Amino acid sequence: MPKVNVISSSSLFTEEETALLTAKGFELMFGGDISESVNSFLSQPPDLLIIEKDLPAAMDKTIIHTITKNLQLALMPIVLVSVKDKESLFCLDWNEYPVDEIFFAGASLQEKIARLDLALKRVEKVADNNPLTKLPGNTSILRHIQAILVRDQNEKQDTMVVGYVDIDNFKPYNDRYGFARGDEVIRMVARIFVNVVNEEAKLKGFVGHIGGDDFVFISPADKADTICQKVLANFSALIPLFIDEEEREAGCFISVDRRGNKQTFPITSLSIIGVMCSPGRYQHYGEVSQVAAQMKKKVKSLPGNNYLIDRRKD
Amino acid sequence: MTDELTEAKRHQIKERLKNIQSLPTIPPIVAKLNKMVEDEDMTATRLGVVIERDQVLTSKLLKMVNSSFFGFPQRISTVSNALVLLGFNVIKTLIVTSSIFEVMQASDVGLWEHSLGCALISSSIARKKGIKNPEEISTAGLIHDLGKVVVRAELPEDFQQLIQYAEKNNVSISEAEQKLLGIMHPEIGAWLAKQWNLPPRLVIPIRFHHNPEQAPEFKDVCAIIHFSNILIRGLGFGYAGDPWVPPLEHSAWEKIKLGKNEMKELLDELELKLLELIDFTSDFTKNSKKEA
Repeated sequence: MPKVNVISSSSLFTEEETALLTAKGFELMFGGDISESVNSFLSQPPDLLIIEKDLPAAMDKTIIHTITKNLQLALMPIVLVSVKDKESLFCLDWNEYPVDEIFFAGASLQEKIARLDLALKRVEKVADNNPLTKLPGNTSILRHIQAILVRDQNEKQDTMVVGYVDIDNFKPYNDRYGFARGDEVIRMVARIFVNVVNEEAKLKGFVGHIGGDDFVFISPADKADTICQKVLANFSALIPLFIDEEEREAGCFISVDRRGNKQTFPITSLSIIGVMCSPGRYQHYGEVSQVAAQMKKKVKSLPGNNYLIDRRKD
Repeated sequence: MTDELTEAKRHQIKERLKNIQSLPTIPPIVAKLNKMVEDEDMTATRLGVVIERDQVLTSKLLKMVNSSFFGFPQRISTVSNALVLLGFNVIKTLIVTSSIFEVMQASDVGLWEHSLGCALISSSIARKKGIKNPEEISTAGLIHDLGKVVVRAELPEDFQQLIQYAEKNNVSISEAEQKLLGIMHPEIGAWLAKQWNLPPRLVIPIRFHHNPEQAPEFKDVCAIIHFSNILIRGLGFGYAGDPWVPPLEHSAWEKIKLGKNEMKELLDELELKLLELIDFTSDFTKNSKKEA
């Protein structure tokens, strides 16, 4: 049953249509008022969002942009509905309205259902995202890295940094606290990265989840230091919440190592490695990850949270 | 009211709480935040400074970050941690869509000031006593009267009756609540906070700020909130719905136990901080009067 949230100030479906849609398997949720429905979809996102065009105070645009900018919600299809007339939907700037589908409130029910179905089907095709963090997965990561490598060297381009992130001692943490809490830590790292990269690099940034406790981010080189520092500061502030009090105070926890021996591990930390990708420096993403692998040994040998950005001049 | 009637009333209130998605707050603080988010260089941290000066917006933020979607159930208890996890865009949406009291009454401002004052004292005591995470204690102090906002916003008719009853019979709002609703604001607030998945470290102090001794856990936090609530009323800052200062529980005082000098230090410190707070709140209420 696809869950569908409807955000509107007027009724977009007649009572009869609502009943028929429910019979078709759509679970429709209408908020009491706009702010209530927004709250409900932010805390429990539906499979699809229907939003009325021209809500008061341009709320429709604000909501649409929030969703599309939120990497975890970006895949949720948005259907824009015009109540006044059909024509106003045909001459929209789709950058201004980054929606997936449109319909006119006065259209036939058949047409409405077809458009909702199509919008839902389309998402299935692009589901490369990590199910835990909803962040883009490997296909998108490779595409993004490759895109910055092949940029035209003749045009003046920003040097970009590709950052590789992983959580130190994550496996023993998982063994000690269980998968559910391990998943929380992974989500926490994902949220921190998304927010810091968004705030610092705006649209030039990217965050992807390779899998497990490995992440990638891309940002302009001049933002990379700030991003790393802020991420590590935020991580240090939050990680104590995921460690039991006694162990937090002791500054370490006991778990088993790879060979199954009991061992004391320091509180979980983050390691970040940044590879400078000036235009033309690397041809293939394999070279980038190779540089990262070399640097990884060095960073991993240091205790606590660390970041290292490769500043070698060719 | 008979037991049966109050039981029915309790049930009715509980049912009502299930559907509460958001609570309204005073317009000037929302107006300020709405202006702030228009600024292109605005950061989540700067928004947080204002958000943590409102009990409704703070609880809304915590509700969001502790929701199942964000995936940190009952884990996050402070605004600064919530900001890091939610990020600017989500916070912006929360602000743009937050609801306000259509008519702001003097008592709304009074309760807001009371909450801020209680938060201020709670965090000062926590720091003095060397309790870890004073920011969390401050949050608990800020949202301890969430139940009162619920009654005011969701049960407006009962709210009017409560005020009239309390005035006519010369009793506290809590007593009126017990008489007319069969349930008091600490329980209402704690129900809602629990439903919103807030951590027990916040839910329990809300529930037991009038009777900290009965708290099953976090007795020290409850005692601090209990005492701060009493002290801020005694100092006469803000208005919590009636002019009465509730009785101090002996065992709570035993837990806090400030010596004569410590108490004097605390009061001196509070005097300065309260002046700052009065500056802050009067700025808000002044401007809103101008706009109105």
